[in-house]
Amino acid sequence: MSDRPLLEQLMDALRCLPGVGAKSAQRMAFYLLERDREGGRVLSHVLDEAMERIGHCSRCRTLSEADICNYCASSKRDDSQLCVVETPAEVVAIEQATDYRGRYFVLGGHLSPLDGIGPREIGLDLFDQRLREGNISELILATNPTVEGEATAHYIGEMARARAIRVTRIAHGVPLGGELEYVDGGTLSHAFTGRRDF
Amino acid sequence: MSHSNANLFSPAFLLHSRNYSNSSLLVECFTENQGRFPAIVKGVKGRGKSQSSLLQPFVPLQICWSGKGEVKTLTQYEADGKMRHLEGKSLYCGFYMNELLMRLLQRNDPHEQLFHTYTEQIRQLTENGIDEAKLRYFELDLLDELGYGIALDQDMDNQTPVDPQGYYHFIPERGLGACAAKNENAICGQTLLLLQSRNLLLPEQLREARNLLRAILGFYLGDKPLKSRELFRYFYNG
Repeated sequence: MSDRPLLEQLMDALRCLPGVGAKSAQRMAFYLLERDREGGRVLSHVLDEAMERIGHCSRCRTLSEADICNYCASSKRDDSQLCVVETPAEVVAIEQATDYRGRYFVLGGHLSPLDGIGPREIGLDLFDQRLREGNISELILATNPTVEGEATAHYIGEMARARAIRVTRIAHGVPLGGELEYVDGGTLSHAFTGRRDF
Repeated sequence: MSHSNANLFSPAFLLHSRNYSNSSLLVECFTENQGRFPAIVKGVKGRGKSQSSLLQPFVPLQICWSGKGEVKTLTQYEADGKMRHLEGKSLYCGFYMNELLMRLLQRNDPHEQLFHTYTEQIRQLTENGIDEAKLRYFELDLLDELGYGIALDQDMDNQTPVDPQGYYHFIPERGLGACAAKNENAICGQTLLLLQSRNLLLPEQLREARNLLRAILGFYLGDKPLKSRELFRYFYNG
């Protein structure tokens, strides 16, 4: 490894990023070396720091520098609502798009028995502990509308129902600005069964 | 062999799908004529791509594939009839069946009959939820198809027909043998005969049949337990 030229090692290392193939990696490497060495230094420094210091929040399992993340630490947020999502990126998406100001719980995946991922692997023991602490009045399921997400939602829903907590699920259906004709059958039938009073 | 299949649609289900590189899926197909095999579906994921909702387990599909290697390329796919939604426990049950097929079926071995049984079972699950007896019959069919079927009406130890009043247990690679009624996995002769004629009814019979099939399947599955059973645990324990 070490006797290979540094340039080659750099290009190889860049390929660990999603969407970056040999050609893009080469372009990035040359750009940093020829046009923006300062930017490259900052990048390597910040990258190193981030890899060292960012871990998971011990309460909700989202990415966080501190032991408890901002969402969990904030006193302004509503303790009675808990939203369950699959990834930290979804926490950010919900934060940016909605007025939701309750707490979160990040599973870091979904139940997928065929990949060997069961309840324990997605932190449901920690989640159960969270439910046991009490004072949650509404559990919002925001797992993805895939079969695995569906199974996960059901499993978590049962856990909450066993503790008599109200469980809601985000709506799935026709995207805004979409046209019914082009929406796929599965989504449309889901939207149709999930219709509500108007 | 698959070459001749180019541009011919075949009924299929996906047993499993997972992400592969940025925009593709690696799926495990279970087809009527070619059995189980892995395939790549290119360019179906990411921004503005919604068609992949078809590419999920339990959706009856018509698919076309090409390629000579072990991993094929899915060239076309469309829904075969109405989309089915499995929910809750039926979904767990679906995962369980898929895991069984993934673990026990050899790749590229056609199992036409089993495919039809599976299709029927999925339809049942969507319409009526879990029917434990039917699930047991599915397991029996699976074992028969794989050549692991056992004679449910024969006591292999004594070479006699099963006595409805007696108790039996599974002996690996031989079949059923008589045992004491107290034995934890003992199954009553009466239940065996009902299982054979597919007439299980009472909860006690279902429990015995479940234990028997769990023992038989367990033998062929080896040491690694089925992950999908963990999903049911919560219901049984709590």
